Amino acid sequence: MPSVALEEVLRDVRRALEDPALQEGLRRAYTGAERRVPEILAEHPEILELARRVEEAKRRVLEDLDRYIEMAVESLKGVGAEPHFAGTAEEAREIVAGIVGSGKVVVMSKSMVAAEIGLREHLESLGNEVWETDLGELLIQLQGSKPMHTIAPAIHLTREEAARLVSEKLGVKLDGEKIEEIVAVVRRYLRDKFVRADVGISGANALAADTGAFVLVENEGNIRLVTGLPPLHIAVVGVDKIVPTLTDAFHVAMVQAAYASLYPPTYLNVIAGPSSTADIEKKRVYGAHGPPKLHVVLVDNGRKKAAKKPLLAEQLRCIRCGRCQLECPVWRLTANHWGGPVYGGPMGVGWTAVTLGEESGAELAHLCLGCARCDEVCPVRIPLSRIIRWLKKLYAESHGL
Amino acid sequence: MDVKLILSLLAENVERTGYPVPVDVERIYSWAKPLNLPRGGRAVLYTGALYQLAPYINSLVRHLESLEGRRAGGLALRLAKTLGKIIDLGKVVAKADPGEIKAVEEVLRSIARLLSAAGVEYGYLYEDDMYSGVILYDMGLDEAFARHAKMVAETLEKSGASLIITVDPHTTHVLRSVFPEYVDGFGLEVKNYLEILSENIDSLKPRRGEAGYRVVIHDPCFYARHEGIVEEPRQLLRFAGLEVEEPPRSGKMTYCCGGPVEAVSPSLSRRIAETRLRELQGVGGRIVTMCPICYVNLRRVGGKVEDIALHLSRRLL
Repeated sequence: MPSVALEEVLRDVRRALEDPALQEGLRRAYTGAERRVPEILAEHPEILELARRVEEAKRRVLEDLDRYIEMAVESLKGVGAEPHFAGTAEEAREIVAGIVGSGKVVVMSKSMVAAEIGLREHLESLGNEVWETDLGELLIQLQGSKPMHTIAPAIHLTREEAARLVSEKLGVKLDGEKIEEIVAVVRRYLRDKFVRADVGISGANALAADTGAFVLVENEGNIRLVTGLPPLHIAVVGVDKIVPTLTDAFHVAMVQAAYASLYPPTYLNVIAGPSSTADIEKKRVYGAHGPPKLHVVLVDNGRKKAAKKPLLAEQLRCIRCGRCQLECPVWRLTANHWGGPVYGGPMGVGWTAVTLGEESGAELAHLCLGCARCDEVCPVRIPLSRIIRWLKKLYAESHGL
Repeated sequence: MDVKLILSLLAENVERTGYPVPVDVERIYSWAKPLNLPRGGRAVLYTGALYQLAPYINSLVRHLESLEGRRAGGLALRLAKTLGKIIDLGKVVAKADPGEIKAVEEVLRSIARLLSAAGVEYGYLYEDDMYSGVILYDMGLDEAFARHAKMVAETLEKSGASLIITVDPHTTHVLRSVFPEYVDGFGLEVKNYLEILSENIDSLKPRRGEAGYRVVIHDPCFYARHEGIVEEPRQLLRFAGLEVEEPPRSGKMTYCCGGPVEAVSPSLSRRIAETRLRELQGVGGRIVTMCPICYVNLRRVGGKVEDIALHLSRRLL
């Protein structure tokens, strides 16, 4: 049985259309974003060249995924990180849970793969105090809802709604509903969590097979704290994030930032193993200022199987910039209410097929217009609308049509 | 909506009648009668019936809109099916707007006259002007599509034509870019009439002394993104003395009219159409469509829109 049902998706979509707060939040958020990306690309035409290289690098990895996973594992060991491989979402949760234990304070930076495996909820259920530290993702946590965009999870929330959530759920007083005020209050509130945290959990934008280094791109600065302050860092990384070299990984970060209309990115983090120093007698000691221990959990969860499928394999090149979402006429009215339980919009349908099974993706496919604006804007040229039409075909076949 | 039921109705309708929705079959080709077009020939005009079907599709969608979200909706359709009244469904739902039927027929006649005025020699297929099956392909009903496409291809090949002239984006795309994948050995040349008019533009003459007006162009997704037809309509409209305005999203980045989800989620389709219509209206100018689906969708949400063939024929014939 698919874990997504078309009937429910249609109900969700109708609810989204009738939700004035969501519609207003979406309207405010996307006005301008559509214009900014072409401006950035016109100003930095080199990004287009890098996008071609990223596409090519990802194709190479996906044709030989098992070997690249092995290379990544070896390279991670080489830099003193502890690699793990998880075949399923459940395995991934268990591995992380085994490392974290219970009764800990955990800070997380926004990660779609963490959401995909249901990590926050699982760690909470084991008696850990878990905090999302990306502002948008924190608002989602406080609201108890799901991220509504790949890069901007709270794209659907207006300042009024955000202010209400922060004051109600965090129990802090806000003077008015100024966005600056909300940001300042959250900063103060989370500062204490960062300092007390036992574990920091992040994702990764790209992991280099040649060196075991991974990169994380951001604007808030929360990733630096999540990955730098607690004594233990766990990175949860989909195996599709593996690229051949560290140079490729940088390219992914740059292209992702530009297509997400955040260029230059404020921060680019490179992490190759745990923190260490050899300043005294050249003896290497781990845990100078950063975490002495780094675990990297490589998550398959359907990716290796998808990599062998024509068309669906192409979804795995996705760098999660979210551009296809902003350009999709359906997404712009429904946000991530369409696309799957975690991922959303055109890329979401493909990712749902990868991670929850093709039959689940097929339940979502009929909301696609097939207009192909997404294909036009994808930096790594994923034939998103063709993947979705293929899923429509699967829907027909699996329902005996 | 009960998508499974809608899909099976579409597939069964095409299988039994040749058309996805119940339709007055004679109306598919009777538009051509006053023109005395020769039958067949080296080049044939193939409408694929989409313009003719658009008013019927529109009335079906209006009906679905009224059923959406009501349990009774699924029930009524299911009842129609169990009673084996798939074709009779037409009597209930396909009360197409006669004005709209006349309008799309006038579009087709305008296209035919424009081709003649441009010196193109061509014939028509009359009762062999079959539906292309495009909705089956769009809905992923590949088996039913492949069966239907084979019949269409055989009919077209039998006509002896070597050039097929298409008139709408969906039929153009499916015939030119999809048929070769689904029909073994399909090798007919497919050209859209806008491409042909553009090639023969020197044979056309704009009417003198008539003041031009502003038009805002709504590119259909399938012309702009799949078939590379972007410049031709602009060139022709300008040649006809009209002032062409671009909406915020145009050409390769044009915005969908919402049509493709009209049967699955009429309310979503309507909202997308409203979004696009507001955008087009914001530019100022008469809105030009080039696709029968865009035409009925933008009209359904109150848009005053007119097909490019009518604009061109007024100025060039």
